[in-house]
Amino acid sequence: MGLAEELVALVGADRVLVEPVDLYLYGTDASIDRGPVKNVVFPESTEEVAEIVKIANRYQVPVVPRGAGTGLSGGAIPIGSSLVVSLTRMNGIEDVDPINMTARVGPGVINLDLSKHTKALGVHYAPDPSSQSICTIGGNIANNSGGPHCLAEGTTVEHILELEMVTADGQVIVLGGQAPDPVGLDLRGVVVGSEGTMGIVTSAIVKLTPNPLATRTVLATFNTVEDAASAVSAIIARGIVPAALELMDKLMTVAVERFVGAGFDTEATATLLAEVTGHDSAVDAELEIVREVCELHDAKAVRVAVDEAERARLWLGRKSAFGAVAQMAPDYYLHDTVVPRTKLAEVMAKVYEIADRYDITMMNVFHAGDGNLHPLMAFDSTEPGMLDRVHAAAKELVEVCVAAGGALSGEHGVGIEKRDLMPLVFNEYDLDAQARLREAFDPDGLFNPGKTLPEGSRCFDFGRPVPEGVWV
Amino acid sequence: MGWVTDSAPTRAELSACVQCGLCLPECPTFRLTGKETFSPRGRLMAMSAVADGVVQVDAAFEAIMDSCLQCRACEVVCPSLVPFGRAMEGARTELTAQLPSSQRKARHLVVGKVLASPALLRMATLGVKAGQKMRIGKLLPATLRSGFQGIRPIMPVAVEAGSTYPALGERIGRAGFLTGCVMDVWFSEVHAASIALLQRAGYDVVIPPAQTCCGALAAHDGDMKDARKLAQKNVVAFANVDVVVVDSAGCGAHMKEYENFTQDGEAFSKRVFDINELIAIAIGSGRIPTSATERGDVAVQDPCHLRHAQRIVDQPRSMLRAAGYNPVEIDPDGRCCGAAGIYSLLQPVLSQQLGAAKADQVRVSKAKVVASANPGCEMQLRSYLGSGYEVVHPVELLWRAVQEDDR
Ligand SMILES: Cc1cc2nc3c(=O)[nH]c(=O)nc-3n(C[C@H](O)[C@H](O)[C@H](O)COP(=O)(O)OP(=O)(O)OC[C@H]3O[C@@H](n4cnc5c(N)ncnc54)[C@H](O)[C@@H]3O)c2cc1C
Ligand code: SF4
Ligand code: SF4
Repeated sequence: MGLAEELVALVGADRVLVEPVDLYLYGTDASIDRGPVKNVVFPESTEEVAEIVKIANRYQVPVVPRGAGTGLSGGAIPIGSSLVVSLTRMNGIEDVDPINMTARVGPGVINLDLSKHTKALGVHYAPDPSSQSICTIGGNIANNSGGPHCLAEGTTVEHILELEMVTADGQVIVLGGQAPDPVGLDLRGVVVGSEGTMGIVTSAIVKLTPNPLATRTVLATFNTVEDAASAVSAIIARGIVPAALELMDKLMTVAVERFVGAGFDTEATATLLAEVTGHDSAVDAELEIVREVCELHDAKAVRVAVDEAERARLWLGRKSAFGAVAQMAPDYYLHDTVVPRTKLAEVMAKVYEIADRYDITMMNVFHAGDGNLHPLMAFDSTEPGMLDRVHAAAKELVEVCVAAGGALSGEHGVGIEKRDLMPLVFNEYDLDAQARLREAFDPDGLFNPGKTLPEGSRCFDFGRPVPEGVWV
Repeated sequence: MGWVTDSAPTRAELSACVQCGLCLPECPTFRLTGKETFSPRGRLMAMSAVADGVVQVDAAFEAIMDSCLQCRACEVVCPSLVPFGRAMEGARTELTAQLPSSQRKARHLVVGKVLASPALLRMATLGVKAGQKMRIGKLLPATLRSGFQGIRPIMPVAVEAGSTYPALGERIGRAGFLTGCVMDVWFSEVHAASIALLQRAGYDVVIPPAQTCCGALAAHDGDMKDARKLAQKNVVAFANVDVVVVDSAGCGAHMKEYENFTQDGEAFSKRVFDINELIAIAIGSGRIPTSATERGDVAVQDPCHLRHAQRIVDQPRSMLRAAGYNPVEIDPDGRCCGAAGIYSLLQPVLSQQLGAAKADQVRVSKAKVVASANPGCEMQLRSYLGSGYEVVHPVELLWRAVQEDDR
């Protein structure tokens, strides 16, 4: 029996893909790379995942876990012919506990489905990546994903109480627990954000957050991106932490408005979307502060969403931004870096300067509140020399952010795309420590190999056999 | 081999997809399977793979395309505005050209020829009528049974080709009414109600005798040749009217896209309206009265080709309210009921799961009357709900109310 036959014997032919065209669809995610897929399997239980890992081990085939495939850094893209384990069918929501505000979820549960499921109980799952209508909790855990509302609520890592996962040798282990501070070494922080390299998450107990009593969304427009960026810093400097503070530049607003028709001002150079939540009276007071600060920073106009429908439309617009880019050009390259909030205005000026110099269309939409930038270059890769320009500009962009004291990845993960940029922020000892940690979990390097760490991160190699096709 | 026809998905259509995945949660087949091979993004990627010469148009490719309901829920949420429905019709055309299976040919005979022929349809109708009399529903295989049991009792044809029904009161314009293929003989009550309301709304209603089947089923199945012919014929048949009115969501959605099938299609499409649109306007302007009588709950089922393809959501609800009913929402996501043209025959397993789920949504709502503005959905609902429920077109409820209030 071969790999596929063993998998079929385990889960049935309906849950194993073997046709070339079927496998082709699993060679990529929402990013631009592509890799070879040996088979795809759809487990429905932790036990099946454990058996699948053991089978893959016997064939020494690399294993790539996959959620909804919305990753933007290539985390779910195989390097070297791999077995893709799609967790989409493990999507049960159990034990919703509105008193302790927890729920047990399968890794394939869609982020927004969870919040819809618990809505009637007055609670929701707080991390809200813009892809929340489709991305999975498993993928969120692997990338420690954040979203517009993580400014106030924190990213995924702060919302995971217990993790069950299958390790590289097919063992099922449980990390953390329902108690706020479980005894023993807390390894949750190691696994959250490990991008599928430490194990396959098969179940999690997540923290739920009370739905806000009142919510107000403010839309402010500015004549320069710098004005908008300094307004963001000033709002937080006034001591309030809005639930979300999102910035879009003009080109991005035009693309978004074309799709949603939410009444965004397509003439404004920068649009700031701010949301405040809490008790009615507090919300109104904060709303006034946001308005005042925006006006102090020369806002063109400040408007408050009149009802839930308008609010939903504005957010739909913001959350569709990446997809709307294709209206501008067939290809895009997106960065995800973090800079200190106080440097926002300065870094943004440099970002546009770089784009000008390389003559590339630059669009920006980002979580301004936590300084998480998403500079996005829209281009046509068939134009001669374009890809080289894009890559050169991309490198400069990251350098500018790191020089301003920033980080490599805000929330999309390192994956393949930023793997080789890791040395910009980590020295060889840091990288070695990370490689050793990973090796402790996955000695054969079979779990999502080639992700997160650049080739040769391990300074003192023990000469372990590396599976064929890995580290390419 | 790549593509071989001039209807194939174009580069522009395919490269508009940035693979963001935001369409996946709206796709009924992805929801049921969790597989990219059943998702809009996956289907587009498979098309791109053919365009790039990475894979061939083969049985595996066909399986990915054929499981699509063409419900177009994916289009509504796509921020990149990918014209998915058009691309899928292009892919189906390629399947027809490159994999001419006998099953596909037989289907094309039905969707391209029988539906366009009044004589053949009459024969089929006689068969159904006889079957209904003899109660053969129970004897049919499961895949056919559900469709058959959803058919209304056949009534004498109410609408004569060539006739004119004059406007009542102030005259707004001249409406050409599409009687359609199956609708003509199997849904004559719906036509009667639509025409009566249009008269009230101020339209002279004509039934152009040269009209034919709209061609939607042919186009969805990749029978581009027949689809073009039918579109051409209708453009000519409806040349002398101000508006073309359609009371089947599937037909209306297709006729609004005639630009993809015939040269003069774009101008034509601008004149096409779903009955819900025109009547809602007439209610708004007071030309059709609003009833003061409360008539109870009605569950609203949104046909995909009304909600997703034509983006018509509020109008049927306004009509029900005007008729004195309380419209009850059964599905905030507007998921497909699984009827999807001939899908229920071709993909019985998926269709069955969707049909049963839709019926459950109605049961949970406690309403005993369901309004649906598309014949296919109506049949699917009727057969999955069983007895104890009335499934009707919203125009029927409004027309009934107007008549009652007149008395
Ligand atoms: C339009 C759009 C908007 C986005 N907005 C945001 C945003 O605002 N914030 C943000 O943080 N990200 C955002 N993203 C990126 C992406 O959606 C997130 O990284 C998301 O968490 C990925 O989830 P997924 O289910 O799609 O995972 P996938 O893409 O399938 O996988 C991502 C990584 O997780 C691993 N993985 C998946 N499931 C498991 C599991 N069960 N166990 C172990 N490893 C697993 C994979 O191997 C891979 O490394 C956006 C993406 C798009 C397309
Ligand atoms: S939403 Fe549109 S762009 Fe995004 S994957 Fe679906 S079809 Fe492609
Ligand atoms: S048309 Fe419907 S079934 Fe087909 S891909 Fe789109 S959402 Fe899915």
